[in-house]
Formats: sequence, structure tokens, C-alpha cells
Amino acid sequence: MKVRRVTTTEQALEALAEHGSAAQPLAGGTDVMVQLSRNEISPDVLVPINDLAELSTVETNGGVRVGALVTHETLAKGALGSGYRSIAEAAHTVGGWQTQAVGTLGGNICNASPAADTLPPLLVHDAELELRSSGGSRTLGLEEFLVGRRQTRRAPDELLVSVGLTPGAPRSGDVYLKVGRRSAVEVAIVGLAMRLVFDRNEIVSKARIALASVAAVPLRVRAAETLLEGEALDGHLLDEVSAAVLGATSPIDDLRASATYRRLLVPGLVRRAAGVCARRAGVSSPVEEAYQ
Amino acid sequence: MTIVGERFRRTDGEPKARGEAIFGVDYLPQGTIHAVLLRSPVPSGRIVGLDVSAAKAMPGVRAVISAADVPDTRAGWVLREQPLFARDRVRYEGEPVAGIAADTLEQAREARDTIRLEIEETPAVVDLDYALSEDSPVLHPEWESYVPTLGEYPRGRNVAAECISDPEGVEEAFEAAERIIEDEYRVQRQYQAYIEPKGAVAIYQGGRYEVHTAHQFPFNVRDRIAQYLDIRPSQVRVIGHTIGGGFGAKLDASIEPHACALSRAAGGLPVKIVNTRTEDMITCPSREDAITRIRTGLDKDGNMIARELVVIAGNGAYSGEMPWLASIALHCARGVYRAGPTRVKSFLVYTNTAPTGAFRGVNGVYLYHAVERHMDHIASVLGRDRREYRLQHLFEPGEVLLNDQVLDDAGILGEAFDAVEEAAPWEERLAATAGPMKGVAIGAAWWVTNPMPGTATVKLNEDGTIGVITAATDNGSGAVNLGITQIVAEKLGVQPEDVYVTMPDTDAAGFDAGSQGSRTTRIVGKAASIASDEVIGKIKQTASELLEAAPSDIVIADGKVFVAGSPDSGLTLGDVAMAATWSVGPIQGTGSFLTPFPDFNPGCATGLMFPSFPTPTYHVHLAEVEVDPVTGAVKVTRYVVAQEVGKVISPNGVYGQVSGGVTQGIGYALYESLRIGEDGRYQERNLENYRLPLAVDIPRVEFSPLEHPDPDGPFGAKGVGENSVLLGAAVIANAVVDAIGVPIDRLPITPEVVLKAIAAKHSAAVA
Repeated sequence: MKVRRVTTTEQALEALAEHGSAAQPLAGGTDVMVQLSRNEISPDVLVPINDLAELSTVETNGGVRVGALVTHETLAKGALGSGYRSIAEAAHTVGGWQTQAVGTLGGNICNASPAADTLPPLLVHDAELELRSSGGSRTLGLEEFLVGRRQTRRAPDELLVSVGLTPGAPRSGDVYLKVGRRSAVEVAIVGLAMRLVFDRNEIVSKARIALASVAAVPLRVRAAETLLEGEALDGHLLDEVSAAVLGATSPIDDLRASATYRRLLVPGLVRRAAGVCARRAGVSSPVEEAYQ
Repeated sequence: MTIVGERFRRTDGEPKARGEAIFGVDYLPQGTIHAVLLRSPVPSGRIVGLDVSAAKAMPGVRAVISAADVPDTRAGWVLREQPLFARDRVRYEGEPVAGIAADTLEQAREARDTIRLEIEETPAVVDLDYALSEDSPVLHPEWESYVPTLGEYPRGRNVAAECISDPEGVEEAFEAAERIIEDEYRVQRQYQAYIEPKGAVAIYQGGRYEVHTAHQFPFNVRDRIAQYLDIRPSQVRVIGHTIGGGFGAKLDASIEPHACALSRAAGGLPVKIVNTRTEDMITCPSREDAITRIRTGLDKDGNMIARELVVIAGNGAYSGEMPWLASIALHCARGVYRAGPTRVKSFLVYTNTAPTGAFRGVNGVYLYHAVERHMDHIASVLGRDRREYRLQHLFEPGEVLLNDQVLDDAGILGEAFDAVEEAAPWEERLAATAGPMKGVAIGAAWWVTNPMPGTATVKLNEDGTIGVITAATDNGSGAVNLGITQIVAEKLGVQPEDVYVTMPDTDAAGFDAGSQGSRTTRIVGKAASIASDEVIGKIKQTASELLEAAPSDIVIADGKVFVAGSPDSGLTLGDVAMAATWSVGPIQGTGSFLTPFPDFNPGCATGLMFPSFPTPTYHVHLAEVEVDPVTGAVKVTRYVVAQEVGKVISPNGVYGQVSGGVTQGIGYALYESLRIGEDGRYQERNLENYRLPLAVDIPRVEFSPLEHPDPDGPFGAKGVGENSVLLGAAVIANAVVDAIGVPIDRLPITPEVVLKAIAAKHSAAVA
């Protein structure tokens, strides 16, 4: 295995064009290095891109554009502002502090783990990915980008360079809730992100719900979103939303938890998330205190 | 006193913080070659083919050995049943089958991959009840031929050991009972999860073996190697290194004998073996899995008048020290509460799993969990206050136990309840946790201080510093680097930094029974104290001649030796050492110590291998929890400990041990388990899946030491290190049950367990 040194994005794209699927971009290395040591991947060429400063910026005029190399630590500190708290919350739970210090948003996306923490909040913010190759660039919705466990639509010669997020809205709130067996350094048993936008009458005008660790890829649950839109929050509605979420997901048994437990979690998480979104949006919440 | 009871930095702290300490896995003498073991991939089977010829021809390979190349012996701490390499049968996943030594680790691994091992798999015995039944295959058909090392004891078929006490009056008491409360509790195994995996370097030279290992009990390694290799123990020299944690898992030999045999086969080259984390986990002598069935008869007033305890604990495929410890069930069957005539049946059973061993609080943790859960169950059935009910049945001064051991000092239990009451008043805490999803619980325990022998030689160096030569090990607890060091410094009037203690070396120091059961500060501290007295006598004798005063008028303090009343006209310790060396000879002294077992009735039980509890200590713990109704996650919000210590030698050391024991107790209660699958293989096989609690999961422990100095201990010290682990599972489980109102009778209490229990309660309520 060789290491190809690059100092600009163009050089990185050239390296990918030259080696195709034999090349592996290396950002924070928190997934790639582990996969290398376990012989799960065997690239001929490693292309370290972590020094490409142009991919490490955050632009927040109007919408938000996040460079692929922005670290979880930066996001966890709230670099995107108060409209994107779910992303900060998710970034704050990726691995431990060491992981967050070097791990990147782009890495988390391209690794496409079913349990990736940042993906549900990116989904609820309608993330659009900018993929660049030496031949040009294209934009793809995150949902479309994710194909399966560790499978994406990134072509071998493409590099994820930035992530665009929908602009913040007044009377909106978002949240990421993660369930693990301990308080930190944990792979999500279930991760749930929600974003709700309310109108002046506290009716939900826009809803987004996305989950990790309940299917082969983190996914949005449109059926649940549709139920919420045009309605005021109440307990009965949230029961229906939970049922829709359960209907759209297919959790499995693994060492960390059973499918049964993952299903048991959903109603409570939906309630808690809706309550937090409402509170953050500054509207009244119907969710009882124990679930807050 | 100016040193004992004061806070000092541990003498090994700075080298560890700076990365200068050489841990066992770091040790790499010139010319070392590397070895790996081929381990059984299955838990049970017959070896029908083993071909190592290809491995021997691989590049860099220096030796390949298996059962055919080593003496046909069996070894064991209590029972000689384990072969060095599996000979015809494999009995657990991970059992060594062959060893390969090569110039590099990579070469050794590649050579291992070429070995052809054929095993005809046989059904694994996994379930404890099944193992005990007549239907189960017998793991050791030849069990009768195995030789016990310290006399025969009750065993047979899949029973590795049993202890049964069935005194008169139990049946009558149950018959007289108004009602009987019955419970069953099941617990899984717990991995010691030290930072440093097991490793060793062995060198065969001139008919002797030199072994370097970071071990809690170097003399036990020596003896085990001698058994396996059929040589005299004195042909083995074990040299200790800085230990990256042990918690009981490093009390018996593991890969050291294999390294010895490989070094000999490789012509005496130093051979190093280090476990991978997965190897370490799947072969670790973990905390025992167990089923506890407990029954209590109550009279019409709710008093406990009859008790039966039946324990089935997992021994794994071979016995370490566990047969010895089956009788702990007898000592903990009632906890610290009177319960009338009591029957105890304790079975240690073979299964096709890795041998279990002594994890801090061995056998005690699940027994106290069972007894204290059962106490809360009884109190709730009776509608009685849980603390009040305990106090009503609490052992009293002069309590006579099931083995006739008398606890003159059992009144300390009441003081411990008082100390916890002062920190966390029960009525107040009940009110504070009255809301949904909050709970509180209290429990109590007593425990042993390991009595086994130790020795130390103390010498006064010519520069006035003090050397302590002993094979005692500091497993990280500070027992040596704080405990023994502060005891010797206090005795000889110097600062702790003027005292050093040698690393263990079985050639150089006398026998030491290892860092186990809280014994090191007490036993070796006392031996060093006795040795110091001899040194003090010699210092005074020498100084009396130099200062022209009677020895009884000589004072040793602050590094000086002077005539009482004239501190300014004295000598330094170095002056005295120098004068003695060149007149009567160097000054040194030696001490040895052990604690005799308290009197007991040998007829009270069969299989009473651990007959009584020397130097008992007493404990009361209180825990408060909050349960998240959405996830089922339990947060321990408060943890209070009152613990009898005899005398605090080192406040930092004592608090560190209490805090660490509570942390492991919380881990056992809520997070950790080595689950054994139906196929006999562990499900958790690395630290990604094995859930250890993190600092954020642990509250700051509130601690009240109780000091009732023991006249035999150094400055009154009793055991401190082990026992703070005993009650974590008990009080946390009870607090969770208090919070959610549903009984949970298994450990660990993971969020999944809790949420399922809450959901079952709700669906039952709806139905």
C-alpha cells in the first residue's frame, strides 16, 4: 500500500482519477484506519486529504455549506449556529473526544454506517452533497447518496467536498437523540433526529424525521412526516407518528441490542424529540414531563 | 504519627505518568523471539489430527510444540487437572493446542495458520443446571484420577467442588413458617478488563527458567510452571514487572508455562507471548456465572426464621482456585442478617467454557446481590421499611455464624448504618426518590481479609534510605507504593520518598501469597513493620555507643537519631548505617506474618475448604438511581459507602480503592457481561462490544471510613482493597426495582432489560 501526498483538492482528484477504486481517501482516519487494521479494506493507494484547508470551512450566509473535512469537534461546539442543534448533538456523540477531534463530517457520510450519528440530523436538514471529480462536479441529495451498509453513490474518482443544508426557519426546532448502553463512546442502538417548523398557530408546517441503526442505512420516514404536517402536536398524533416510524423501519438483533428493544424505543423517542423540537421552536409542547 | 494516615503521592506515580514504567508487555530483552498459541476454535471436541510439520518449515520459525513435546502432566492450583496443551480433548474455546515461536510475531502467526488441526466436535455443556444433571455429558470422565494439591474434597461428575451445610432444625423451621418467600437470581460473567493484556517473557538457561511477567502472584506462577514441566519449583525464577491491572485475573499462571516450554524448545532464546485482547477476554478467569436460589421462612410477625440457599456457580472447563471458594456461600448465605436455621448447598460445576477465577469479591458479589434483593423482596411483601427490616435482623456483637465463627465486633455494622444515615438520611432519601423513575436502596455486607503469608526484609542503606525486599506486588492499588511504603517510613522516621520497595523476584525474596483479598498492606505491611522493629533495635544499639546513651533513650525521627531531649546533637540515619556497617555489619531486619483462621466448627459442613473469614470488615452501601423511561437507561445519581478499614494508612489509597470497587460494582450491575452463547462461545469478544462504564457513568463516591484498629495489623490496618465491590449490584438492582416497581432478577441491568420490564408492566396493567 502506498501513500499519495497531495496538497490541493485538484491533486487529490487527480490521484483518485488515476487509481480509481484502488484509491482510498483518508480524512480523520477514525473509520479507515480501523478497517485497514481489520483487513476489511485493502486499497493500493491511500490519499490523505486531511490538510486540505479549503475543505475545512463553514459558510453560513443564507443557507449553510459545510466543508467535508470539518471535524465533529467543530460541529459539536455549535459552529453551524442554533438552527442546527441536532447536528451539534450528533457530532458530540461520535465516538469519544479523540474521535471527534480528528473525525470529519465527510468521513462519517462516506463511511455510510447504518449507525452513523451525523446522518439522521443531516437528513432532517435536507443535506445536499457536492461531489467533485477531475471531470466536474455534481450535487446529490444525501438520501439518494446512501445505497446500503457502507455503500454509497460516490464514484471511485469522486471526492465529497461539501454539504449544503437547508436554511434555518423561524419557529423551528431540531434535535438528535441517541440511545446507547452507556453515556458516551458508544455506537447508536437507535439514533433519531427530528426537525419541526411551526406556523404562527403552532401548526406543524414542515416535519422531518430520520433514524439510524434501524435499517441498512439511516433513513427518513416520509409517512411519519406527512402525518405531522398540517397538524398541531398532540399525544394521539405522536402515537400515529410512532406507528408510521415502526412501519418504515426494520431493526435487527445484534450484540448491542435486540430488534424488540429498538422497536420499544421508538414511541418514547418520538415523543421526546417532538417535545424538544416544540420547546426549541418556542411553541407549546403536549409532551408529558417524564418524556422531556 | 506523621506519615501513616497522611496523603502522599504514590512512589510509582511519576514514572507511570511519564511513560517510564516498564510494564510486563513492554519488557523485551535483547534477542527475544515471539510466540503465539494455537487455541481451540471450539468449546468441546476430540482432537483427531494435529499436523505441525508445515509450520516447522516456515521462515523464521524456531520451535513448534504441542502436547507430544511436553511432559504428560496435569497442573492446577487446587486440583491437578489441566494439561499444558490439550492432549486428546479440547474443553473450552481458546484452550491451547500448540505453541509456535519465531523470529517475528508475523512469522509466528503465519506459521500458526499452516497447522492442520482436526477436531471432532462434541456437544458443549453450557447450561449450569444441565451440567449438574445426570443427563449431561461428563467433561472429565477421568476425574477420579486427578490429584488435589491440598487434600481431597467433595467432587464428582461435573461437580468440580461442593460445600453443603444441612444442620438440624431447618426443615422444622420451614414447617413452622407462616409464609415462605422464594427467589431465583441469575448473573453472567464479568471480565477483569485491565489495561495490560497478559504477557510473559521466558528464558531457559542452565536447567532453570527465568520468567518475566507482570503478575499478582509470582510464586504461584513459579509453582504452576514447576507442575506443568515436572521440575522443582526452585528451578523457576519469576521476576515481576509493573502491572497494568489484574483484579484477580493475574493470580494464576496463564501463558507463562507455554513461554517456558517454547524457550527450551528454541534452545534457550527468550520467548515472548502477549495475548491479543480477544485471546485475553475469551480465556480470562472471569467472574463466575451463577444461579442462586434462595428461600426464607417468615413467622407470623414477619421475622425470618428459616433460610435455604442453593448456589450453582460456573467453574468453566478446569479449576483454578474456585473449588476453594465454594464455601463462601456458607459465609454469605444470610448476608449480615439473622435468618434462623440455615441450609446451604453450593455447587461449582464444570462447563465447556473458559475457567473462571477470582475477580475482586469472588463469589461475594452475586451472593450479596441475591441476599439483598431477597431482603427487599421480603420487606416489600410484608410492607415493611427496607432499612428498618434490615436493622431488626442485623448481626449483633458476639454473633455466632453458621460455622460457629464468632463475630465479637459485629456491632460495627450498626455504626456503618449510622454513618450512612448521617450522610444520606433514609427518610429524607425515600422522600427525595418517591417520584416515578427514581429509586434508593441500602445494603450491608461483611468480608474477609486474605490471611495468607508474606515476608519482607528491611535494610538501612549507608545513605540513610530504606530498602524493602519483598515479593509483594503492587497490582496498581498502591498497597506497596503507598501502604507498605508509608508503614516503613513511619516506623523508621523518614519520608516515603526515602523508602523503596523491590520488584518481586522469587529467587531473592521469601514466599508471598500475592496481591489478593486486600492482604498486601496488612500482611506484608505487618511483616515489614516487624522487620523495621529489628532495624530500629540495631540502630539504637549502634547509636547508643556513638552517642554514649542507653539504647532506650535513643529516638529515631525525621531522618535523625538522637538522645531524647537533644534533637540537635544527633546523627543522621546514614551516619548510623555507615558506623554499623564497618563495626558490627550492615543493618537489616526480617519479618514474616500471616493471620490464623478464626476458630470454626469443622463438622458444620462438608467441603468447607475456606473455613472462616479472618480479619472481618463490615460495609454498608446506599445507592440512588434515576431511570430514563424512554430508553431504560439507569443513572446512578448517588453512592454512599461506610466501610470498616481498621486504620487508614493512606487516605488516597483507601479512597482510590473504594471508588474503584464501586465503579466495578456499577459496571457489573448495569453494563458488563461476558455472555456465553448456546454454542459455548463468548458473545463479547473485544472491548468495542464489552461495555465498561466510563467516568461519565460513575458518580463521585461519598465515603466514610470506620476505624477500629486491629491489634495484629500494622498500625491497626485491616483489608481495604477488595471489598468495596461487594454491594454495588445489590443496592443498584434494588434501587432500580424501587424506581420502576418491577422485579429484575438478572444482571446486568441494561437499558434493554429495564425498558422491557417497564413495557411488560404497562401491558400487564392494560390487560
